[in-house]
Order: sequence, then structure tokens, then C-alpha cells
Amino acid sequence: MRYDICIVGTGAGASGVAYTLVMAGKKVVMLERGGFYKEQDFSKDEIAYCKRDIVTPNLKESYHTIENLEDEKWTKTPTYVTESSFFNGNIVGGSSNFMSGYFHRLKPVDFKLKSTYGAIKGANVVDWVIDYSELEPYYEKVERLVGVSAEVTPYKYHEPRSTKDFPYPPLDEHPISKLIDKSCYKLGFTPYKTPRAILSKPKGERNSCYYSNYCGSYGCSSGAKGSARASLLQPALKTGNLTIITHAFVKKLGEKNAKVTEAIYIDTQTNKEHHIKAKIFVVAGQAVESCRLLLNSKSKSFPNGLANNSNQVGKNLIFSAGGVGTGQFDSDSMPLKELMVEGLFVNRSLCDWYEIDKMKGGIVDFLFEHANPISKASKQRWEKGELLWGEELQKKIFKKFTATKQLNFEVFNDWLPTDNCFVSVDEKYKDIYGVPVANIRIGSHPHDLKIGRLLAKKAEAVMREMGAKEVRSSMSSYPPANLQAGGCRFGDDPKSSVLNRYCQAHEVENLFVTDGSFMPTGGSVTYTWTIYANSFRIGDHILGTLINEST
Amino acid sequence: MKKIMTRRVFIASTILAGTALALLPQGAKTSINIEPFKVIEAVQEVLFPKGLQAPSAFEFGATNYLLTVSTHSSFWAEDLKFLAHGAELLMEKESSFLTMNPKQRDKALRDFVSNSSKGESWLSLLLFYTLEALLSDPIYGGNKNEMGWKWLGHYNGQPEPKKLFGELL
Repeated sequence: MRYDICIVGTGAGASGVAYTLVMAGKKVVMLERGGFYKEQDFSKDEIAYCKRDIVTPNLKESYHTIENLEDEKWTKTPTYVTESSFFNGNIVGGSSNFMSGYFHRLKPVDFKLKSTYGAIKGANVVDWVIDYSELEPYYEKVERLVGVSAEVTPYKYHEPRSTKDFPYPPLDEHPISKLIDKSCYKLGFTPYKTPRAILSKPKGERNSCYYSNYCGSYGCSSGAKGSARASLLQPALKTGNLTIITHAFVKKLGEKNAKVTEAIYIDTQTNKEHHIKAKIFVVAGQAVESCRLLLNSKSKSFPNGLANNSNQVGKNLIFSAGGVGTGQFDSDSMPLKELMVEGLFVNRSLCDWYEIDKMKGGIVDFLFEHANPISKASKQRWEKGELLWGEELQKKIFKKFTATKQLNFEVFNDWLPTDNCFVSVDEKYKDIYGVPVANIRIGSHPHDLKIGRLLAKKAEAVMREMGAKEVRSSMSSYPPANLQAGGCRFGDDPKSSVLNRYCQAHEVENLFVTDGSFMPTGGSVTYTWTIYANSFRIGDHILGTLINEST
Repeated sequence: MKKIMTRRVFIASTILAGTALALLPQGAKTSINIEPFKVIEAVQEVLFPKGLQAPSAFEFGATNYLLTVSTHSSFWAEDLKFLAHGAELLMEKESSFLTMNPKQRDKALRDFVSNSSKGESWLSLLLFYTLEALLSDPIYGGNKNEMGWKWLGHYNGQPEPKKLFGELL
């Protein structure tokens, strides 16, 4: 069968396109590397979802190499050695199944960083080729279709909205949020109510949030979390126009006359190779894996990889810069009964420093330490570099669980694109299918840490005002594996970008890349809302093209 | 999905369910080399002894847990090798470990750790898996009768797993 569209990947970047086309009657096939987990399959099993490679490839099967500067030499280390995976949720719906759903839009300024703040030496900052107003209607669409719960907090840098408020009211909040508010007001800061891609009331077949206390890193059992699967793919499947092929690892896209002719995939359960033909191909396997696929799709016309005669594929990969901070709370700061309430959300951010001293700043999100008991207990086994055990350890664990609660903050700021952060492939490192794995060079710009530390200071001030003990923070230049973007920049110039403004490859007419890869700069927020919005935007564009073709 | 319940897991878990490892019949039908696990079981009881309120490693099934999870494909093979290797090293240094009383065992482990960084890594890894056993879902063979969760007043997430290692229903 020849489909209208073949999409590689089933996450947020893939599903906005799929949903748009399927609902318009087009025949779409999606290729997913992992299995199809539905609401009833998920549980709050810390071993399966947080401690083992169950929803990501076993690192003996596939892995990445991480290229780090060691003793002034770039050195590649496979992730099966570091035991730290750069895969993020290889099941239908992708990593959106496991997100916490902290949803922030980019601000208008994020679309023109270079023209607003000027160039930064050593960084490849450019303006986007679209502006905020082109994406705004799609941000709004995400609020409705994926489901975003919140109420608008007015503050200095708030982005323009086409609707007055969110379609879903805020989720229930933990008593500590009031203490955050009080402390922020005292310091002259604005406590920003964090929008969440979690339903506060039912929508279609999705139930509202049941406050399980195990949200991030876990699949949602009620359908409240706005995963691509629950919010878009499950409804789209009902039309009969959508086919999802699971356990399909796409190793190569075939090309002829500057057009993609087929996707070649391996069924990971049978090890058999299959070919899928379609008019249009969309790649959305998350930034690193999308770049890997293009780089491995070499042909006579594209010896360096598909759509890569400009040598731009894989370049200017970005993550989210920043880090984390912590503070300990006990009965000295609020009544223990209130403090120990489980399951309710903190939902507070600081966005007052989106700009700092005429530089681009970022945001801070507050959240409780994850409920995961194994992780929490394991951290207690070290004390000042000494291993604890026996009664001493038992007392420490007991106190940690019964008398204290840890509030964390996460700092998000721009990871500046540089020549030392990119994806490449190397024939030396292959997966069990004989396909070169992605190498990720993880160099970062020193400016990122500087901004991160400025933001951390503000968050620490809030923690102290709240009465937190042992307030600490650690900003890091190591990339968070789950927040990837860039690598297939969009732009008007085919020499310096891979994709045009519609995320269509400059060099390959029927190829689109619709995950976070298109982003030339990332903004200083988590990416998922923007990836969803852009995916809907490209879905509309592809639909328009198909309609024009047939008339 | 890979088949989760391998034959090895099945044999190991049925034989050991609810029994003390020390009571294992000689030459029990499992492909795991059981010898190091006798040492491991004794060490886990020192790492997590019976407290006033805390359950002991033996009570909550720490070794049983390890035998269940270590045969699954998701378990790091190097960890399994290292756990066995460490037990052998300990026996080389402290050959009478298994006949010592709890106080002597604790002292022997403290000596073992302070004299070798490998010893410390080994004990840290074993403690890591002991804590997994204390607080994981009872479906994996540890946290017997949820005694780990009950001890800490921990509110476990719902729904609980019906199958091991996230296998689809």
C-alpha cells in the first residue's frame, strides 16, 4: 500500500502532523520503535519505569556515544559504559508519555534573539524565520486539543494570547504553594502559576487527573496527561485513516531524484526488514535520532546523508541549560500535616528574569522532590563521602521519609548553539542492527552557566524566605538528555539551514522534519508546547500542499 | 516485547519464595551460582538488620528480590558478576564470615570497606539493591507484605503493577 504520509516517530512532533492529516481524511502510517502502551498497561512501578531500560532500548542493543572534552581532547564514550541513556521513551507517544507537563510558550523575544541582544562570541545565535504571531494560533490549539490547565498570571514578560484564559482550570495545589506566593510577594517577585499539560477535568475518553503523586517519568493511567498518544493518536486511530506500526526501527530513508521513495525499517521482534512507500515523509524521532537517520541515509546524490549537501544536518544541537536546587522543609516551616500532603501540585515558577541586564535570562520551576521511594532512600546511603549502613542508615531514611520534605527548583535558560554541540555518525560505533549510532558532542558555551547561576540565586532567595534549610543549587553544563532540540535548523538560506520555514528539507521536496530539530535557538523553557504547536502548523501546511496537488 | 518471565526466573523464584536461602537444598535447580548468594544474604542482614521498627533484609526478602531481578534481561550483567566477585573477595579476607555473630560481621565489613575501594563499591552496590528490595513493588519478591512501605508510612502509587518489568497486559 502507498500511504499519503509516512511519519517516523510517534511523539509530540510527529502527532500534530498525523492528527491534522488523519482528521482531514488522509492515509497516514507512523513507524514507532517501541511498543503500544495504553492507559491500562501503565503502573507506578519504579523498577520498570525509572530503574531499568524498559521503555528505551537496552543499551546493549542501541546506544549513543557522548563526546566530551577530556584533557583538551574530544573523547567519545558509549552510553553503555556510562550507563546513562540518551533515549527518552520509545513507545507510542514517545517521551511525552513520561513528561511532567510543565508547559511554557516561547516569548516573542525568543524568535529574534540575535536582533534583540546581538551576537555572542562563540555562539551561532540567529533569529527564527517565523515570529511569535505565526505560532500563537497553534499554541492555543494545543491548549484545547492536548489540554493545558492553568490560569493566566499577569507579569512583565507575559506573551500575547489570543484567548483570555486557559480552557482547563488550574489543578489542585499543595499548601506549600501559598508559602511560595507569600515569600515571593515579600521579595517583590511574581509567583507565576505554571501551566500544566494535565487535564483538570475530563475530555472525551480521557479522565481528569487523579493526583497519583507519580507523574513525571511515569505513563498516565487516567489519560489526563497530554501525551501525544492519549491526546492525539488514540482519537486519530478511531478514524481508520491512521496505521501505527510498532517495533519498527527505521534505519534508512531511500532516495531517488531528490525525493524520498521509501522508509526501510527493521521489525525488532523478528529482525526482518520492511519497506514503506508514501508520497510525503516526515521525520520526528527526537532531535538526536532524527539527525542520525538523515546522516545514515546516504545515497549517490547525498553522500553525506539525506538533505545534507550543506553539511548542516546534526549541527547546532541544543539542550536546555540550567540546573537544579534543593531546600529542606520540616515542621519548623509549616505544620507537618500540611507539609506531608501527597499528590497535589506545586505549580509555581519564576519568570521575572526572562531578561537580565539586557541579556536573555530564563525561568525557574518549583516542584517537590520526586516521590520515588527507592531513589529517595538510595541517596541516603552516603554521608560526607562515607557509606552508611545498619541502624545509622535506617534512622536517616526514617527521618527523610517521615519528618522532612524536599522542595526542588529547576532553572531553564538558553543552551547557546555552538560549533561544539552536534550530532554525527561514526562507522566505528554500530547498534546490533549494524547501523551507526549517533555521536553527541556536548560542548556548551560558558555564558549558559553564568545566566543559570544568576537565576539560581533568585530561586535560593525564595527558598530562604520560605524558611527552607540546607538550601543548595548546582548549575551544570552537562546536557539533560530529555530536553533536546536543534540539529536540523530551519531558515531561508539553504547554505546555513537544513529546512525551510515549513520544516521542509531545502534539498528534498517531500521530506519534512517536525520534532524539535528545526529550532535554531531553544528559548529558556521546556520545548514540548512549542514542538506540539509547530507540528500542528506543519500539518496545516502539508495538508494545504496535498489539497492543492489534488485540485 | 521480550518474554519477561524467563525459565531461570521462574525456577529461582518458585524455589526461593518465602524460604531462607540457607535452607536451599544442595544443587537447587537454578542456573545462578547460588554460593555467592549465601554470603550476600548474610551481608544484607548486616546492612539492614532488624531494628525497633525497621524490618530486616531477611524479613522483607532482600536476597529473594535480587535473585528475581538479576535474571531479567534488563539487569546489568556486570552488576551480577561484580556482586558475586565481591562476595568471593570478602570470603578470601574473612573466611569465617558466615560463622561470625552480627557484631563481628559488622566489624568485618567495616574493615573490608576501609581496606579496599573495590570492597566499598561492592557494598554500596549491594546496599543499592537492598534498598530496591525494601521499597519496590512486592511483585518483584522484596518488600514482603509491603513492610518497607509500611515502616516509612509511604504512600505507594496507584495502580500497582500487575506484571513484572512493565510487560504489556
